[in-house]
Amino acid sequence: MENKKALIELKNISKSYDDELVVKNVDLTIYENEFLTLLGPSGCGKTTILRMIAGFIKPEEGEIIINAKVFNDLPPYARPIHTVFQKYALFPHLNVIDNVAFGLNNRTWNYLENFYGKAKIESEIKELSKHKPISVKKAIKNLIYKDSLQALKLVKLEGFISRKVDQLSGGQQQRVALARALVNKPQILLLDEPLAALDLKLRQNMQYELKEMQRNLGITFLFVTHDQEEAMTMSDRIVVMKEGVIQQLGSPKSIYNEPINRYVANFIGETNIIKGTYIKKDLVNFLDVDFKCMGYKFAEGEKVDVVIRPEDFDVVDLEKAKLVGEVVFSLFKGVHNEYEVKVGMEKLLVHTYESYEVGQPIGLTIDPYEIHMMKVDDSEQGV
Amino acid sequence: MEKQYASIKDYGYRDFTKLNKIYSIIKKLLVILIVLGLYLSIIVIAIQSLNESRNLSSFTRLSFQWYLNIVREQELMNAIKNTFLVSSIATVLATFLGTFFAIGLYALSKKSRVLWMLLNNVPILNADIVTGFSLMLMFRLLMVVFPNIFGLFTLVMAHLFFTMPFVILSVMPKLKETDPNLMDAALDLGIKPYKALIKVVIPAIKAGIFSGMLLALTMSIDDFVISYFNTGSGFDNLSIWIYAVIGRRNLTPSVYAFSTLLTLFTMIGLLTYQFLQRQKKGKNNEKNSTSSVSSQS
Amino acid sequence: MNKEFRVLSRPYMVWLSVLVFFPILAMIFIGFSNLDSSVSIGEISLSFSHLNILTQSSTIIAFRNSLIFALATTFICFIFGYFIAYEIKLSKFKNKFVLLTLVILPMWSNLILRTESLANIMSENNILKSLLGFNIFGNIAGTWMAVLFGLVFTYMPFMILSVYTALEKIDFALEEAALDLGLTPLKKFWKVVFPLSLKGVVTGSIMVFLPTLAGFAIPKILSRGQIVFIGNIIDNKFIYTNYNHGALLAVVILIFILGSILLITKFDKEGETLL
Repeated sequence: MENKKALIELKNISKSYDDELVVKNVDLTIYENEFLTLLGPSGCGKTTILRMIAGFIKPEEGEIIINAKVFNDLPPYARPIHTVFQKYALFPHLNVIDNVAFGLNNRTWNYLENFYGKAKIESEIKELSKHKPISVKKAIKNLIYKDSLQALKLVKLEGFISRKVDQLSGGQQQRVALARALVNKPQILLLDEPLAALDLKLRQNMQYELKEMQRNLGITFLFVTHDQEEAMTMSDRIVVMKEGVIQQLGSPKSIYNEPINRYVANFIGETNIIKGTYIKKDLVNFLDVDFKCMGYKFAEGEKVDVVIRPEDFDVVDLEKAKLVGEVVFSLFKGVHNEYEVKVGMEKLLVHTYESYEVGQPIGLTIDPYEIHMMKVDDSEQGV
Repeated sequence: MEKQYASIKDYGYRDFTKLNKIYSIIKKLLVILIVLGLYLSIIVIAIQSLNESRNLSSFTRLSFQWYLNIVREQELMNAIKNTFLVSSIATVLATFLGTFFAIGLYALSKKSRVLWMLLNNVPILNADIVTGFSLMLMFRLLMVVFPNIFGLFTLVMAHLFFTMPFVILSVMPKLKETDPNLMDAALDLGIKPYKALIKVVIPAIKAGIFSGMLLALTMSIDDFVISYFNTGSGFDNLSIWIYAVIGRRNLTPSVYAFSTLLTLFTMIGLLTYQFLQRQKKGKNNEKNSTSSVSSQS
Repeated sequence: MNKEFRVLSRPYMVWLSVLVFFPILAMIFIGFSNLDSSVSIGEISLSFSHLNILTQSSTIIAFRNSLIFALATTFICFIFGYFIAYEIKLSKFKNKFVLLTLVILPMWSNLILRTESLANIMSENNILKSLLGFNIFGNIAGTWMAVLFGLVFTYMPFMILSVYTALEKIDFALEEAALDLGLTPLKKFWKVVFPLSLKGVVTGSIMVFLPTLAGFAIPKILSRGQIVFIGNIIDNKFIYTNYNHGALLAVVILIFILGSILLITKFDKEGETLL
């Protein structure tokens, strides 16, 4: 990431509501062309950060730097940023195409001349003047219409141009909101839980399409969600937040596999967190068994939290097993079975394709590279 | 690297900060002037009520004598009594009947509900003079059968006619807000429909009923035109009486005193109500403080 | 809601139909017949002889006065009322309800009394002058300015309430979206806020226009009988029990009202901004 150009830098940003600090000294750099997700439960400050970047609220401390310029005091309309709102915020008095063209239609002619460039406007005039002479303003209006159509085509709504927005489904409204932002060719698109109101199937489709769009258009997407699966599928990098503080920043894989603390581990999918002891290099003890591990460095004899994802257990014959437990609860989940396995005093969550009955003994092993360890943090008592 | 600050001019906008400051001063001035305009008449009424002299052209000395005199003014007391008699009967009936009528209208299919709500708007939108005059004509035609119809009866009927639509109009949105399953849930628990209506629906819409009642009372107490046409000889409410007396240029300042007292009482009533509401809310907020924080982010 | 409750609406349907239509029919009937106290039932017949009242110059002047004052009042109320409603919406004061109540509070004192006290302070020697030392209105008693001032400040609360109701319903996210798309606050107002509040403006305008058009007490008191509205003529016909003429004039006002109701239903189907 180092060789990429930084688009937005947040430096030591803080914001409070009614004396309660909701964003605490956040530092964050967002690069060109990346899909960055702010992930966390409601109240973690993620939307506040988004709204500060958009300019709807001002940070009390710190600087918002966009394209190497400090933007703290600029109103939202002067920022090269557009937002897709949670409930879409489409204008009910306008039809679909007027909603999409709204931003450009209300710019000054100066702005629009720069926006399209002399060459493009002149070629448009040439093309349209075949039949009768045409003014610059008319040519620009025509370009805006063309662009809006193009944006609607991009979101697959070209057939809905003159529809009223309240006659659209939630998914379609979502697409109009997207087109309305994209037509302005923003450098950065902010998306505030835009998929939260859609049903599961539609949401999964949109996730895929959003990712495609971001890749093809080369725009930076800053996405806010509380849904970890959504974050996993789309993001290049994820920022996990809690109570206004960034917990972990990294690729989806690293966050999933190497959570930095209990909070992140619990938030990113189901997991087992077991107390253990780091014995020496590549050896850890938990559940009274020594396991080979790799890649972690702690003091010898230090207490650690061991993280094992439910699907990382291997179910084996009892005699080959390193851990033997009893199935106490089973759930059929379609692709796999989910079991609660009691080993000693600890209950483990195990995903496997094999079938077991409640009450049956079950043998488990774990590959060394599937064992992840975190420093014990007493203040973190789960989510 | 030196810090660069983005300026609004770089992005094609002009800086109106100075103009905005001037505008905000003009704005404040205008607000004050308009509010003064709205309050001018009741301020003057209050001043007139405190003037010792009956003469309205100059303020001689501060005096509370007109306040003490209210109860001694026979005609005024009579007009006040009539006003409250008509308004309280009309308001109680309008609130009670209007609530059940609104529930009935809400149960209709959407198409006929819209139609009847349209008709319900007629007494609200119709000019008082048309309502008053036409009702008067109708009652006159009825005089053939009931010769002594004009008086309390015609006034209450007329007031009911134009206050009930307000009750219905303020109950209806509350009905729309109620959970459509509320009724079903009550029925499912074995409660009979009309019992469920009273136990479940009425409590859910009580805010609407209350505001409808206040509205009905306000409209009824302040009505002049409709009452003017539909009253019988001798049955004057406050408006009609004042209208008649100012024609004779012979109004006792006790009227101003009464009006000022009424204004003060409404103001105090409203402020207390607000204060109580806020205290109630304050308590709720303490309980929900965590959720209010989460809703902000 | 349970269909069983539909029966509750039946009495109201009867009541509304009777009291909306019957008086109006009676009014039309009386306007177009020879019926008056001297005519016995057997002699009632259709008569257009009362129509001459409509072409009398005093009637025409009265209609012109009513219409001009109603339009001017509505326009001024729209400008200032919208301004106040918008300021209330923007105000940082948390309890908007208190602000609104303060705006309507004057409406709770008697209209006739308020008008009369306005008339008092518009005359040359008045109680305010004796307190302040100068005349705030100059000497406008009996002029059109006095009438207009009275009408505007009597009916402006209706406009403020309707517009505020409409403004309050505008989703704040829409305003943010407009800013986000590059509109300055002023442009945002004209392109988003104002179009979305039109419903309230229409309702408010009608709530101001109709009582002004058809009123008679305010012009009579404030113009000292100099400026005659159509309502004053109806009032006179009522006093001299010439019901045929009064009814006919009221029918004309009714036509204006029906037009307004049609306009309102076009903008606001179930009367949500009426309150």
